[in-house]
Amino acid sequence: MPWPIYLALKQLFPSGRRFPFFTLISILGVALGVALLVISISVMGGFGHEIRRMIVDTQGEVQVKGRGYLADAAPLHAAIARVPGVVATTAYAEGVALIEHDHKPAYPALQGIDLEHVDAVIPLRRFVRLGSLDRLDDDSVILSSQLAHSLGARLGSRVELYSPLLLEKLKNDEVMLPRELEVVGIFEVGHQQLDSSVVLVTLRTMQDLYGLGRGVHGINVKIAEDADPDRVARLINSALPPEANAEARSWIDANQDFLFVLQLEKNMIFFLLTFIIIVAAFSVASSLLIAVVRKTREIGLLGALGGRPSQVAACFCFQGFFIGIAGTVAGLALGFTFLHFRNDLIRVFTQLTGSEEVLARFYQFSRLPAYTAPSDIATIVICSIVISTLAGLLPAWRAARLKPVEALRSE
Amino acid sequence: MTQDSASSGNLSVQRSALSVERSATVAAAAPVLAARSLAKTYLTGTQRLQVLRDVSLTVLAGESVSIRGESGSGKSTLINLLAGLDAPDAGTLEWGGGPAAAGRRADFLGIVFQSFYLIPEMDALANVLMAARIRGRIGAAERSRARELLAKVGLGERTTHLPAQLSGGERQRVALARALMNGPQLVLADEPTGNLDEHTGDAVIELLLGLCRDTRTALVLVTHNAAHAAKCDRPLTLHEGVLG
Repeated sequence: MPWPIYLALKQLFPSGRRFPFFTLISILGVALGVALLVISISVMGGFGHEIRRMIVDTQGEVQVKGRGYLADAAPLHAAIARVPGVVATTAYAEGVALIEHDHKPAYPALQGIDLEHVDAVIPLRRFVRLGSLDRLDDDSVILSSQLAHSLGARLGSRVELYSPLLLEKLKNDEVMLPRELEVVGIFEVGHQQLDSSVVLVTLRTMQDLYGLGRGVHGINVKIAEDADPDRVARLINSALPPEANAEARSWIDANQDFLFVLQLEKNMIFFLLTFIIIVAAFSVASSLLIAVVRKTREIGLLGALGGRPSQVAACFCFQGFFIGIAGTVAGLALGFTFLHFRNDLIRVFTQLTGSEEVLARFYQFSRLPAYTAPSDIATIVICSIVISTLAGLLPAWRAARLKPVEALRSE
Repeated sequence: MTQDSASSGNLSVQRSALSVERSATVAAAAPVLAARSLAKTYLTGTQRLQVLRDVSLTVLAGESVSIRGESGSGKSTLINLLAGLDAPDAGTLEWGGGPAAAGRRADFLGIVFQSFYLIPEMDALANVLMAARIRGRIGAAERSRARELLAKVGLGERTTHLPAQLSGGERQRVALARALMNGPQLVLADEPTGNLDEHTGDAVIELLLGLCRDTRTALVLVTHNAAHAAKCDRPLTLHEGVLG
């Protein structure tokens, strides 16, 4: 082992002492910065990941929408199915309706789903908490959990639906009779907005309520695991006949503004929290500078024994480097431990502060999501080690400038 | 009896036995140190202080030279110049017939200081091995030699002790072992007993002279102590920057 590395290790971890105070504090400073970065970036990544999962799980990776509505979707299904990378398709119709139960009204979004094909594209069954998707027919609905709670509806309850078509009939002095449907299921996605305002009905029910005939509003497309959603959307667009008057958009394209804001927030958090590591690095630099002053005569001795100034400098740079490595490893361990117990810790915290509802209300998720991308970890590790090593540069430069004869003479 | 004085007794016997042989060897040996007309001046404010004037010194292999002088006579400045740690204003310096370059210092020189300068984070063995590490040669042979040297200076049982756990005399003995670690041709000792009591100082000087003699290493000893100076082959005096 080259002597600058050996001496750097000895000065950080001297013989006979388990953990010197300077080393401990320096490593702790870097570790805290790294842990905060890992936690923040993972939680931000979790939000992005959850949103992606939610969009893909409820809409598929690509959505083909008609400008207006698609009167005949059958030829489109065939055209889309031939596109490379497409696994399955399912038609849908959507709209807003007035729903009433026990004199309590609500205005949820209605999703008409094609029961024959929906399973191949959207894993709805996974989200049904009570009842069953198999029981859904033209005379029944599945409610989102918070909507059911606010309406006071349970399995077997009967709800009344008023569609915009009924209002049109009212204008023409026709009799307005709501559609009465039985609640056969309650679902929960884990996203506050979806769980409080969505009602699932069959595609035929939706076509009846909106007077669509055999028409649909769009087609959800499931693509292969390794397929690129943007590329498949482009291929679908070139495969669609011009008279279809429809356009395919990937979930990334459809949500690009939101995803941009999410990425921007993540980058800003990374930028701001990196300053914690920089502050820790200043503390390391300050401690190493003090060490250079304190060990002036030792530095002189190294020169007298034949050590070159560049080697003396390397010794202090390596101290910063080793602090960076140890702090990063400790920070990663601390960060991942926190992430592992994050929901338990947050539950305790929200119970103590009485803010259990805040997470769901403001952040849309019932549990704090976390997703750590390997590339984010690589960036954090590299930044942390580079910054810590740079912290050793100024002390190293000071040490290298000391002339052995003057250093040995110093008091 | 302390370990320091025990070592001193053994080595003084060896010294007497070898004294005749040494005189013959020294005469035939090539110079390991050749300093010619060295001069050094320091600027103190607006005043120029000439510390060394036209100092010339030749030291042969295995020879021991002592330099005595009053405080401020330039002894330490001379040692720094001879060690290549400082540059002279005039004159030339050669080590073993070659240039006195910083890159040769680890191979050629061993230096012993008044203040020991042991690295406090390392035990005695690691401090001795530091000279070999800086030279770039560290292996089983070097570890074995370091242990052997520590045993020779009477610290064979204390290799794992930190400097803080050693007495002043023991620390200086570790410094002696470190100076001899790379098998230098010349040892420069700058008042090695200055921080020690008289008894311990005597023991350290006996040890230093004995080790240098055993290994045929030339020695330049700077000291205040007349008795220590007298034990060297060639006692010299530095007075007002002139060596005589």
